[in-house]
Amino acid sequence: MADPILTVKNAKKHYGEFVAVDGVSFEVAPGEVLGILGPNGAGKTTTLEMIEGLREIDGGTIMVDGINVAKDPFGVKRIIGVQLQSSAFFENCTLAELLVAFAAMYGSHIDSIALLKRVDLADKAKSYPEHLSGGQRQRFSIAVALVHQPKLLFLDEPTTGLDPQARHHLWDLVRQIQKEGVTVILTTHYMEEAQVLCDQVAIMDAGKIIAFDTPTKLVEALLKRGFKPHTKVQEASLEDVFIDLTGKGLRD
Amino acid sequence: MRDYFFAISRLTVLLTRRYFRNRTAIFFSIFFPLIFLFIFGGLFGKSNNTSFKVAVINDSKTTFSQQFVSMIGKSSIFKVQSGVTNLDDAKEKMNQSQLDSIIQLPPTFGEPGANHLPNGQVDVYYSESSPQTGQAVASILQSILGGVNAKLTHISPPLTVASQSTDQNGLTSFDYIFSGLLGFSILGLGIFGPVNTLPAEKNTGALTRLRVTPLHPSQFIISYMLSSLLTGILSITCMFLVATYLFHFHMEGNYLVFILYALFGAVTIFGIGVGVGGWAKNVRAAAPLSNIVSFPMMFLSGTFFPRYLMPEWLQHISAFLPLTPIVDGLRMILTEGKTFTDLGPQLALLAVWTIIIYAAAFRVFSWD
Repeated sequence: MADPILTVKNAKKHYGEFVAVDGVSFEVAPGEVLGILGPNGAGKTTTLEMIEGLREIDGGTIMVDGINVAKDPFGVKRIIGVQLQSSAFFENCTLAELLVAFAAMYGSHIDSIALLKRVDLADKAKSYPEHLSGGQRQRFSIAVALVHQPKLLFLDEPTTGLDPQARHHLWDLVRQIQKEGVTVILTTHYMEEAQVLCDQVAIMDAGKIIAFDTPTKLVEALLKRGFKPHTKVQEASLEDVFIDLTGKGLRD
Repeated sequence: MRDYFFAISRLTVLLTRRYFRNRTAIFFSIFFPLIFLFIFGGLFGKSNNTSFKVAVINDSKTTFSQQFVSMIGKSSIFKVQSGVTNLDDAKEKMNQSQLDSIIQLPPTFGEPGANHLPNGQVDVYYSESSPQTGQAVASILQSILGGVNAKLTHISPPLTVASQSTDQNGLTSFDYIFSGLLGFSILGLGIFGPVNTLPAEKNTGALTRLRVTPLHPSQFIISYMLSSLLTGILSITCMFLVATYLFHFHMEGNYLVFILYALFGAVTIFGIGVGVGGWAKNVRAAAPLSNIVSFPMMFLSGTFFPRYLMPEWLQHISAFLPLTPIVDGLRMILTEGKTFTDLGPQLALLAVWTIIIYAAAFRVFSWD
């Protein structure tokens, strides 16, 4: 395994008495997709925000590509791209204008149309983000996170609230980004999404990582413990039926 | 360092474009100051020629009294309110400040006396709250009657008075109030704009999104300030055009000096708005603080009332408000033709405030 691009060692975060993140440790190799799973309030978003330099780290160390986040948060911000769970953009600005301005914040010039093409929004270059559909907005949000060609991309629940077509489309986009060599860390509530996209999965609960492995190995381990599914395994899922009936074409 | 200003320039372009696509914002920054200009221009523009609103109650039937009433009507000093014919109605109107004074001619007014000339006494009523008005109206009537008396008796008075204005520049009271109105609109643009928009954009998450980039708060504040200055220039230009063409404003000073000084003032005041708006987590937190900060300046910095009318101790305090050197300086440039070399104290005070305000604004700014 190559040198990890992200190393989290015993990271802690508490708000008063409440412990949000309770000593979390993991590593991510370059080019991998890591999924962080867990029920609401498990500490997923707080963990991400500590890595992104948005929250103070109360304990432990986090290194991103050799940079200590606690010591140089601005240095980390330069090499990571972040898509926030509830991102909004200035109103009355076109997508192309926003991309140019965001690139300038990193000191870089970009071809906004080429970037919009990458996320299938080239025809929306002159639209305002407030007029986009949910799926388009998430794709634009990812485009903004890519303006400075980051080494590491963070996606916080990128497919929440999207219809199946938009979700499949976003998965294709994430795979494409991974192919270009970007390491991706995402949180999700959809197990299917984690299984399809992630090389590694971390399952969090109550501020701790309770399992960390590849999806296949996690499932194998469960079966070894003697787990029996409640229902007979079907050859196809209801989602397969839905996609088969309504097609894969995007609706936005 | 080049990257620092590159980001500022692109962000300024973005924020300016966005601003000009927002019709409500344009309305508030351009038409709102103009509305104020019309209201106050209308109020103060005419106050140059003093006049009194009076009711004339003529209880006499004589020809002389009719002539006298029409003589009062022709006077430029009196504005006779027609339709008020009885004393009780007139008194009620005077209580409501619709009238300054009442002139009553008693039934016997103008009837020939012992000397076969029209005799009589004019009664003047005035409100207890303004005895000066009563005296002024009475003495004007006295002088009108003096003229009539001279004609009737054919004696020309040996001693007379003639008055003329010493105002050499021809300054009108509008010229004087205009710099105050400019100061007021700088206050409005610089404080109420950012105080409303910044917390709102924290709530939508648009500002929070910038927090994950390496953008420094000072870069954002400077871009925001520059984009607002452009709109400020537009707003002040519109005010200037209206003042010049509709209110016949006389510009004594140099336009470049005026523009640079107004911009400096706008930069200072804008720092207050972006400091409060950048500090506040939401609009509800921003409103009270912005009112506390802006109200004293709005009334004590000489925008609407000259500062010399205030008690001395208050003048000493209000001299140090950030808006005071702006209004004073603009007035000196606009009405006295002063230039930067004459404005040393104002420039120094403004510079000190600018440093304090921006140091605080950079420090208290938060993205969410």
